[in-house]
Amino acid sequence: MHSTWRFLLHFTCLLILAGGCSEERQSPEALTGAVDLTYWPAPNSQEVELADSVVKEWNRLHPDIQVRMQPIPVSQSTEEVLLAAIAGKTTPDVCSNIWPGALHEYTQAGGLIALDQFPDFDSIASVRTPRELLQTFRSTDGHYFQLPWKTNPVMMFYNERLLKEAGVTSVPRTYSEFLAAGRKVSRDMDGDGKIDVWMGERDIRPIWWQRLFDFFPFYIAASNGKTLFTHGSVSFGDKAAEQVLGFFQECYRNRYFPRTFFQGGDPFDLEKKATHFAGPWQLAHLQKFVPGMKFGVVPLPVPDDHEGPVYTSGDFKNIAIFGNTRHPKEAWEFVKFLISAQHDLLLLEICNQIPVRGDLLTSPLFAEYFRQNPVMVSFAEQAVYTRGMDSAPDLKEIFDAISQEYEVCAVFGRKSPAQAVLDAVERTQLIVEWNK
Amino acid sequence: MSNNWSIIRALRQSDLNGYLFVLPYVIFFLAFVAYPLVFSLILVFHRWNIVTPMEWIGLKNFVYLVHDALFLRSLGNTLTFLLIHIPLQIVFALLLAVLLNSRIRLRGFFRALYFLPVVVSGVAVTILWQQLYSYDYGVLNGLLNAVGLPSIPWLVNSSWAMPSIAIMATWKNIGIYIVLFLAGLQNIPGELYEAASLDGATKARQFLHITLPMLNPTIIVIVVLSTIGGFSLFIEPYVLTGGGPMQSTLSGMLYIYNQAFYFNHMGYAATLGFVFALVILVVVLLQRKFIESEPTG
Repeated sequence: MHSTWRFLLHFTCLLILAGGCSEERQSPEALTGAVDLTYWPAPNSQEVELADSVVKEWNRLHPDIQVRMQPIPVSQSTEEVLLAAIAGKTTPDVCSNIWPGALHEYTQAGGLIALDQFPDFDSIASVRTPRELLQTFRSTDGHYFQLPWKTNPVMMFYNERLLKEAGVTSVPRTYSEFLAAGRKVSRDMDGDGKIDVWMGERDIRPIWWQRLFDFFPFYIAASNGKTLFTHGSVSFGDKAAEQVLGFFQECYRNRYFPRTFFQGGDPFDLEKKATHFAGPWQLAHLQKFVPGMKFGVVPLPVPDDHEGPVYTSGDFKNIAIFGNTRHPKEAWEFVKFLISAQHDLLLLEICNQIPVRGDLLTSPLFAEYFRQNPVMVSFAEQAVYTRGMDSAPDLKEIFDAISQEYEVCAVFGRKSPAQAVLDAVERTQLIVEWNK
Repeated sequence: MSNNWSIIRALRQSDLNGYLFVLPYVIFFLAFVAYPLVFSLILVFHRWNIVTPMEWIGLKNFVYLVHDALFLRSLGNTLTFLLIHIPLQIVFALLLAVLLNSRIRLRGFFRALYFLPVVVSGVAVTILWQQLYSYDYGVLNGLLNAVGLPSIPWLVNSSWAMPSIAIMATWKNIGIYIVLFLAGLQNIPGELYEAASLDGATKARQFLHITLPMLNPTIIVIVVLSTIGGFSLFIEPYVLTGGGPMQSTLSGMLYIYNQAFYFNHMGYAATLGFVFALVILVVVLLQRKFIESEPTG
C-alpha cells in the first residue's frame, strides 16, 4: 500500500515537471490585446543601449505594437544561437545581427522571410543603400532575406609614433611601400637579438575567421571589389589572390610579421606593432584602453599596379525577419523605424559603427557627428567601397580551406602563391560539390 | 498461471523501491548515453546540418572518409602524439612514483604538488604553456638563449609542435599516473624485496625483476587510460595551435569538432567519431595483447 502511494507521489511529481515543459503559455498579446514582437540586437553593451533607446521610443509611439528587446543570448557566436533558435522554433521576430555569411544556412532552413514581399521594400532599401551595394545582398533565388544595416569596413590603423621613429614619412598605401616601411620599422631596439617592434602581426593559427581580417579584405582590395564567388561560381583563382598571398609571404619571410604568440595583450595596444587591420570598433577600444596613442586610419595596402578606388570587406551586420513571426507586417514596420535616419545617427553616436547609407557624408543630419569624430570620416568614405560576404553555403569550410593554404604559403613559405591559390580553389570546388 | 502472476506481483512490490533508486541513473543513461549513441549511429548514414531535415545518404560519409586526406592526417597526428606521450608518461610517472614511495622529506607536499596540474583547468594550463612556448618572447627560449643555445620553434614548426604538445600533456596528467603507480608499488609485498636482498640482488635488479613485473597490471591500466585520453586530445591543439602549423597538430578530436561545430557536418562528424572509436578499440586490444604476453612475476 505504501509502495502504491509512493508510486503515485512520484508519478504526480513527474506530471508536474512535464507540465512545466509545455510550450503553451498565455502570451502578453492575449492579456493586453497589443501585438507583441521580440527583437534581438547584438549583445555588446553599445548595441544594447541603442536597441533599448529605439525600442522605448517605438513602444511609446506604438501602444498597439509592443516590442520586447532581448540581447542575443551569449554564446560562442550569434550564428550558433540563431541556428539553434531556428531548429528549436524559438527565434525572435526581428534580429539585427545577421552575418551575411550565415544567411544561406538560415534560408535553407526556411528560417527567414523574403523582405521584398513588402511593397515598399525597394523604395525603402534603395533610398538608404546605394543600389549597386544593395544588389550584393540579394540571394541566389533573387529575393532579399536581409536588409543591410551597418558595416565595419576593415581598414589599416597605423601607429604614428612608431612609423615616425623608424623614419617612415608617408603612410604606406601599396605593397612595395608597406614592405619598404616594414624594413625600417621591424627591428631590434635594445640589442638583445630579438625584434621589438614589428610592421604588423596576424594570429598565425589556421582559424577560418582570421582570414576575414587579412586574405579576404586584401583580396577584395587587390581585385577591385571582387569576392570569392561570381554568379555562384568560385572565382578567386586569379592574379589578385596570388598577389595577396605573395604580399603576406614577403611580410613573414622578411620577419616584418612575427611567427609568434604575444604575451600580455594585443601588440598594437602595447605599441609593439605599427599597423593593424580592423574596423571602426577598434576606435572605441583604443580610445578606452590606449588613450595616449596617436594613430591614423587608411585604406588597405594594394598591389603597386592597382588603379581606382580601394575596396575592402565590410563585416556587415544586417536585419532579418524570422519565418515564425506571426506579425510580419508589424515586424517590417519596426525594421523601417530601426533604419530611419535619426536612428542611424544614434547608431553612429552610441556604437561608432557605420550605417549602410549612401548619404552619410552629404546629409546635414550627420555632419555634426563627423565634425566631432574626424577619424570616422575615413570609415564613412570607405563604406561605399565595401563588399559583404558571398551568399554561398559552406563559407566557414571554404575559409578553412583558404586558411590552410594561407598558412602553408604565406606564414611558412612552403608553397608558391600560384600553387596555394590553385589548391585553395580546387578544395573550394570540392567542398561546394560535396555539400550540394 | 495464477501462481505465476502472484510471484510477479510480489516481485514488483518488493522491487519497487529498488527500481525507484535506479530510476535516476536509468534516465540519465538513456538520455545522455544510449540516446546520443543510437542517434549518432543513425547520423552516420545521413547528411544533417542541425537546421534542415536529415537526408539519407547511405554510405557516402564512409566513401568521403576513405578519400579524406585530413582524416588520415589527423589519425597520424594522434598516433604520433601517443607514441611520444605514452612512453614519456610511463617513464616519468614511474620514476617520480618510486621517488615518492621512498622515505623522503616533505613526501606529502611533493605528492600534492605533482597532482596540482591535474586539477587546474585545461584551458588555463594551455594558455600558460602558450606563453612558455612563445618563439620570440617565451620563457623557455629565454632560458635557452641565456645559456647560449638557439631558440626552439616549439609551436611554429611542424616537426616540433606535436612533441611540444605531448610534453605539455604529460606535465598536465602525470599526477594521476603517479597515484596509480604509487598504489601499485604499495601493493608489492615487502618479503619479495627481502628475499631478493638475501640472495644478493642489487637495487637495479630488484627493480627490473620484482618492481616492473609486479607493476604490469598497473602499466596496462596506464597504457589503456593514456591511449584513450590521448585519442581525446583536443583542448591543447584547439587553444595552442588551432591544428597548425600545417595541420601537424590537427588531432582526431579537433577534426571531429571542426566538422561538427564549425561546418555543421553532423553526419560526417558522427562517422569520424565511430571510426575513431573503432581505432581506439583496436589499438587498446593490441596493447593488451602485447603487454599481457610479457611474463608476470
